[in-house]
Amino acid sequence: MAEISFPLPDLGEGLIEATVLEWLVAEGEQVERNHPLVEVETTKSAVELPSPQAGKVLRIFGTPGDTIKVGDPLIVFEVPDDTAGIVGTVPKEEAPKRRVRLNAVLDED
Amino acid sequence: MGAHRDRLVEGVDPHLNVQVHEAAEGTTGPHRPVILLHGFASSAKLNWEDAGWVTALTQAGRRVVTVDLPGHGGSPSPEEMDAYSPSRIRADLLQLIQNAHVRPLKEGDDATGVDIIGYSLGARLAWEFGATQPELVRRMVLGGPAVHDPLADFDLPAAQRYLADGTPIEDPTTAELLRMATLVPSNDLYALLTMIEAIKIEPFVPSDAIPQMPLLLVAGEKDELAQSAPELARLGGKTELLWLPARTHANAITSRAFKNAAIDFLAG
Repeated sequence: MAEISFPLPDLGEGLIEATVLEWLVAEGEQVERNHPLVEVETTKSAVELPSPQAGKVLRIFGTPGDTIKVGDPLIVFEVPDDTAGIVGTVPKEEAPKRRVRLNAVLDED
Repeated sequence: MGAHRDRLVEGVDPHLNVQVHEAAEGTTGPHRPVILLHGFASSAKLNWEDAGWVTALTQAGRRVVTVDLPGHGGSPSPEEMDAYSPSRIRADLLQLIQNAHVRPLKEGDDATGVDIIGYSLGARLAWEFGATQPELVRRMVLGGPAVHDPLADFDLPAAQRYLADGTPIEDPTTAELLRMATLVPSNDLYALLTMIEAIKIEPFVPSDAIPQMPLLLVAGEKDELAQSAPELARLGGKTELLWLPARTHANAITSRAFKNAAIDFLAG
């Protein structure tokens, strides 16, 4: 299994942080891509963020009332290795270069 | 013979930005559209798309129609004040419904009529529209509603002084409404102030015309602007009132409890 972390995305010009209103998923829950993840409020408006990823929610950051800065961790998913672009089990010590390259591709996703 | 489009309720097409979102594939729901009316200084995108309503409704099998009010979002900002008057906007809504070929409500036919969800100013417009168009509107959900339109109390001279030389605004509601109005770059501030002028001429008097269809009123418990929602609920005939714990006028809109209650109510 692989882990993929997503930060709080850029929510528009000038906005540097958002306050968590309510999480719509729980740790351990399996979610589909675009499933509503969390409601957050900025100085401008309240928004519902859809999931950028399908997978099992491993960890969520912030409880209602907490402020999260744009770019800080928001959620971590656990996804099967093949979903993450890795076919089969690649032992780290045997193919470190390949794994690094694939992770770099993932970050661009 | 002309298309519906050629028959204009008010003689002039306001070219409002109307978007239709079809029900998600594989879902089933009533075929009548849900019309979404956003609040002052907001837009269809902010109030309904970014807040997750369009996704929630289309996933629940509903066809959704959003419209940007004049001076808001992607709609034009005409110079004349009449374009912003609540009565004119209600006529524009009737036009929109006519253009969409909506047929009057018929018992047992879920493809007739419309449902409406309005927030804040959109709730006021919905109240008046539903009261005057009972043959078209089946059910309505009114969010952040009040018996009194806070825009009618907006201190326009104070706002203009503030915009001219930064003189602080004393009235907190005026200050907050202006703050909201200046935060959204797609909004035309001059147009928004013109809309306030027009609303002052036609303030909200909910007892003048009362919608008779079932209504769901929803407000945040900490919504300062909607504290009079129970009074409005008492005026309506078949009305339910739902309070959202800990929510304010600004952040009640994303509430999952609000969306679920609205979807259930409109399916009833």
